[in-house]
Amino acid sequence: MHLPKSWSEIDVLQFKEIRELYTIPEVFNREIEILAILADVSSEELEDLDIEEVTAMISQIKFVNSEPSKQYKHQLDDYHFKSLDKLTVGEYIDLEHYFSKDYNQNIGHIASILYRQKSVDQWGVTVFEPYNFSPRVRYELFEDYCINDIYGIIPEFISFRENFMDTYGNLFHDNTADADDEVRPTNSEEAKEIQKEKSQLKWGWERLIYSLCNEDLTKFEEVTNLPLIMTFNMLAMKKELNI
Amino acid sequence: MVTILGIEVPNQLNELTVQQFETITTIHANTDLDAIDKHLQVFEFLGVPTIEWDNVEIEEFKEIVRNFNDIQSKPELVNTLEIDGYTYTAFEDKFKLSVKDTKHIEKIMHSKHKGYISELLAVLFKRTDLTKVEHYSDAHIKLKAKLIRELKAELAVPYLVEIGQKLSKHIPKDAPTEILE
Repeated sequence: MHLPKSWSEIDVLQFKEIRELYTIPEVFNREIEILAILADVSSEELEDLDIEEVTAMISQIKFVNSEPSKQYKHQLDDYHFKSLDKLTVGEYIDLEHYFSKDYNQNIGHIASILYRQKSVDQWGVTVFEPYNFSPRVRYELFEDYCINDIYGIIPEFISFRENFMDTYGNLFHDNTADADDEVRPTNSEEAKEIQKEKSQLKWGWERLIYSLCNEDLTKFEEVTNLPLIMTFNMLAMKKELNI
Repeated sequence: MVTILGIEVPNQLNELTVQQFETITTIHANTDLDAIDKHLQVFEFLGVPTIEWDNVEIEEFKEIVRNFNDIQSKPELVNTLEIDGYTYTAFEDKFKLSVKDTKHIEKIMHSKHKGYISELLAVLFKRTDLTKVEHYSDAHIKLKAKLIRELKAELAVPYLVEIGQKLSKHIPKDAPTEILE
């Protein structure tokens, strides 16, 4: 039975399958299912073995309890990593969405936003393909790559997001004030106010875009294609100067 | 048997049933009770009313507990049972835990319900005239557990020791990988 020795032998699809098994609460049951995936056998085939035999195998796949490499490739065939400081508003919003759901299961979707085709225009400037596709139709392109090739984009984005929130968090604060505190309304007016705040939180990004569009939805795409950092710098300036 | 405040109370593994043993371990696992309350509840369960303790000195109580906990025998693993004309076997020559049994046992232990000891034994003891599929059906395990509950605790304890040793040695203790945030 061949068993991989490290993440370098695991592709993105297998990684997702393995991480999904972490919902199994019983450790031994989970380890057996992971072993079956890595050995490419059904878990039933392992069931007649003695616990001593499988323990030796499980000890060979301990690497699954660690993280894959944080060094990611900047090019995967025709797809190139788009630097995070070049993200657009729309790309960032979609990344936030996939991270908030489950970034391990959405790593292909995340990669499809961050790895893009590029070309050089007539002025010699490198341009990335526009973000006019759905990650849902492209994520499978990344599932055959080794997990070590792309896993590093996860901590990279998380770190970027932390810095982004440190810098621009106050712009979200009005929208998300007291989001974590469960406030009990004492009267119907307060209840309405809390409900309004919850709705505002739920529609946070939509409200932001709606306001950037000056309530003109025909400008939706224009706004989502704006550079993220520039947009938030302008919003920060607007807020500080109260204009 | 041990006599507590004039009442005969079973305390040896060949006197207590598996079911009684399960209740006693459940009481001892109750973290809401202190050590004295645990013993009082065990004694009450075995027939000594709580009210009888009102005039007992603490030193006398300690001595009673010591006597109750004085287990004389050290039972061995029994590999075969005969119940109602059927033979149940846990192992042939040497006790082994298969992956399938371990998976079931882990699930039973994880559920932490009161009758887990008899269910655990029900997984290990397989009726010799049945197939593998039947051994592990939920209904069959529940039925076997019900039968085993009536047997003496001396059957269960050596298995609990063996299983505990094997699981602590073989089940990985690694925390689930939660990675970044």
